[in-house]
Amino acid sequence: MKLKKVLAVTLAAAMTLSLAACGGAEETAPAAPAVEETPADSTETDTTEPAAEEEAPAADEAAAGVPSYSQVNVGEDYTNLTATIKWLHHKTDRAEDGTIDQMIADFNAVYPNITVEAEAITDYAEDALLRLSTGDWGDIMFIPAVDKSELQNYFMPIDTLENLSNEINFANIWEFGGQSYGVPYMANAQGVLYNKAVFEKAGITTLPKTPDEFIAALQAIKDNTDAIPLYTNYAAGWTMGAWDAYIGVVSNGDATYMNQKFVHTAEPFKDPGDGTGIYNLYKILFDAVEKGLIEDDYTTTDWEGCKGMINRGEIGTMVLGSWAYAQMVEAGDHGEDIGYMPFPMSVGGTQYALAGGDYSYGINVNSSDENKTAAMVFIKWMTEESGWCFNEGGYTVQKGGQNPDMYAAFDGATIMSDEPALAGEETFLNDMNAESELSFNAGGNTKVQSIVEAAATGSQSYDDIMQNWTMVWNAAQEELGIEVNN
Amino acid sequence: MASEMMTGKTQKRSLGEWAASRDGQKVFVMIAFMIIPLLLLFVFTYLPFAEMFGFSFYNMKYIGARKFVGLKNYVKVFQRDDCFGALKLSLYYMAGSVVQLALSLYLATILSFKVKGGNLFKGFMFFPFLINGIAIGFIFKFFYTRGFVFDTVLQWCGFELENLPYWLKDQSINNISLVGTSVWRYFGQNMVLFIGAIMSVDAELYEAAMLDGANRFQQFRYIILPGIKTIITLNVILSITGSLSAFEPPYVITSGANGTGTYFVIMHEIAHTQQKVGLASAMAIVLLMIIFAATILQKLFFKYVFKGADDEDLNASVKRDKKLAKYAARKAGR
Repeated sequence: MKLKKVLAVTLAAAMTLSLAACGGAEETAPAAPAVEETPADSTETDTTEPAAEEEAPAADEAAAGVPSYSQVNVGEDYTNLTATIKWLHHKTDRAEDGTIDQMIADFNAVYPNITVEAEAITDYAEDALLRLSTGDWGDIMFIPAVDKSELQNYFMPIDTLENLSNEINFANIWEFGGQSYGVPYMANAQGVLYNKAVFEKAGITTLPKTPDEFIAALQAIKDNTDAIPLYTNYAAGWTMGAWDAYIGVVSNGDATYMNQKFVHTAEPFKDPGDGTGIYNLYKILFDAVEKGLIEDDYTTTDWEGCKGMINRGEIGTMVLGSWAYAQMVEAGDHGEDIGYMPFPMSVGGTQYALAGGDYSYGINVNSSDENKTAAMVFIKWMTEESGWCFNEGGYTVQKGGQNPDMYAAFDGATIMSDEPALAGEETFLNDMNAESELSFNAGGNTKVQSIVEAAATGSQSYDDIMQNWTMVWNAAQEELGIEVNN
Repeated sequence: MASEMMTGKTQKRSLGEWAASRDGQKVFVMIAFMIIPLLLLFVFTYLPFAEMFGFSFYNMKYIGARKFVGLKNYVKVFQRDDCFGALKLSLYYMAGSVVQLALSLYLATILSFKVKGGNLFKGFMFFPFLINGIAIGFIFKFFYTRGFVFDTVLQWCGFELENLPYWLKDQSINNISLVGTSVWRYFGQNMVLFIGAIMSVDAELYEAAMLDGANRFQQFRYIILPGIKTIITLNVILSITGSLSAFEPPYVITSGANGTGTYFVIMHEIAHTQQKVGLASAMAIVLLMIIFAATILQKLFFKYVFKGADDEDLNASVKRDKKLAKYAARKAGR
């Protein structure tokens, strides 16, 4: 009996010992990757500050330290640099069809000693964040949804916003405190995919420019053809979130709206009464569903299947970014039928189109100097020489680069990109998105899906939905203490 | 501390002697064997759980600063409509698990007697359990698509397509459709567990009961059911807790949209899309408490249900013991 007691106590002691050991490791380990503690913060700023200082004097002698984006001359500098860099990306399709390997091979023709290891990640948005939080993920990644104030803890500045703006469009996507941390690999102009043959058959001769014209066009498709007027892609979810892309420039022609005014607006979801604004944007979807201008059973839509369907002329329109264009063209034999038009909404008689960067390359702040340099060279080469953006049907990232033909219909429209948030307010939109759980342009698919559900089942009127949104929006503004302007 | 206790116990022996002795070696071996599994359990189960419990008191994202907010997250869980509203959907899954258990118990009873091709049926019915849950989701996504498999089969049976509902679109039945997939997946596994338990019932009991004139149902009611009550209790508890945490069917088939978002799906949405990690952690803790409560209630319920049977057994054995004792006494006295 006594032996048993001793045994129990020894075991308990051993357990507590091992527990203490674990606890100890736990306390010291997170200091490196996690960033909530102030000491970690101060070291991070230490590492970024010298880099910032370098830029001024190092403009003429780029040899010292890591060059900034504008200092690299692609094809001339650093051709002898030897390094092995790892690149995390989300383009699994391009990894499979060999595009990525081909581009890396082309890169190595100029930079033979820089080895690029590319890793494609399937569930990128989530996995990349997890990888990022471990700290040890490689040298280049497409920057996932990080708060802008956190950028400096994970990524090195690519260049100052001022310098980078001279080199590329959309330099401000990942701007924080005057520094840019990311270069988009391609850019998208937001419009609507349509099938030209279906439009012709339905007797639509001019592309719709207002919500009313668009609904009329959908009705014409329904009446005159067998095609589905508007395919919602409800089931895939994220395809519904694509509607959020039009709430800024497209719906009001104001480039400062999305990142600056939106969070301060008291009633952003109010009907302005002239067929514009966020209210009338989602109303197109609601009306289309209510009038039966969408697919029969929206809960079983098939994302992979829809590509072939629009290609064959079984679908009239789909509301998706320009990145989808190339996929629809490739999905069948009638690629020439696929067209891309500006979103059917006119502000003061003008159609606006939003162009914005896609995922952006970011460089690990903890990489060695050689790797950072190699990464910088790689990024600039990819942007200027690889032709990736053009081949994907993207709006040009390089300043003055060539645009694909698909943007022909955008000639009459004004193309703008969103202005960045004001200094000190960079996190506001993210905070509001999270707090209100509407998550505009941040995976807020559920709210758009619920519009479809409400329209189909009649469970809620459109005005009720908008009122609901206003309510949670205002509650979030109050919770976060964000100033509200009327 | 441990050594103090030990010296207290072994005043006659020194610590070194004790360690070298057989007793000491026994203790060392035991610890050596147990330390690895216990360590793994601790590191991969209890430590993450403790972390999550800690998270539930913070307003935090995965990365970035954390703000301690005390019990605010828990208050929010109870204030929000979607959290507890989602638990209502669990009722569908609970109802489904009742159907599932009844079906599997019925089939298990039939298959535990001699049936032609019994093993084949067992195999077929167990098979769905072997398929990955995500794959099942995709199978049923197409199965329920308008005009696809299910509708086609029903049309063969004479139904008109116009009269058939939209299995996933119609909000009054889409949860039932989803529960159907989960019943389809798990009833075979329950059945196999039941068959295993039924096999352990002594076959002589059936013979005896048959001689006494008991029919099949009576055999089931008075022999099989009491014989496998432990496994039934276990299966019921597992199914009910499983219903509370249903995730795969709604997540894969409808991605939680259209009124099919269960508690877990909502939690996933809050944790990963909205990145309210603290709130999601609090939801997880609340769900754990609910599951604890449900399990304890069920335990009590079954204790009550099977109380009669237990008492009977106890009395019977006491009587038998008494008789045996009397018999032995008589024998000894002789």
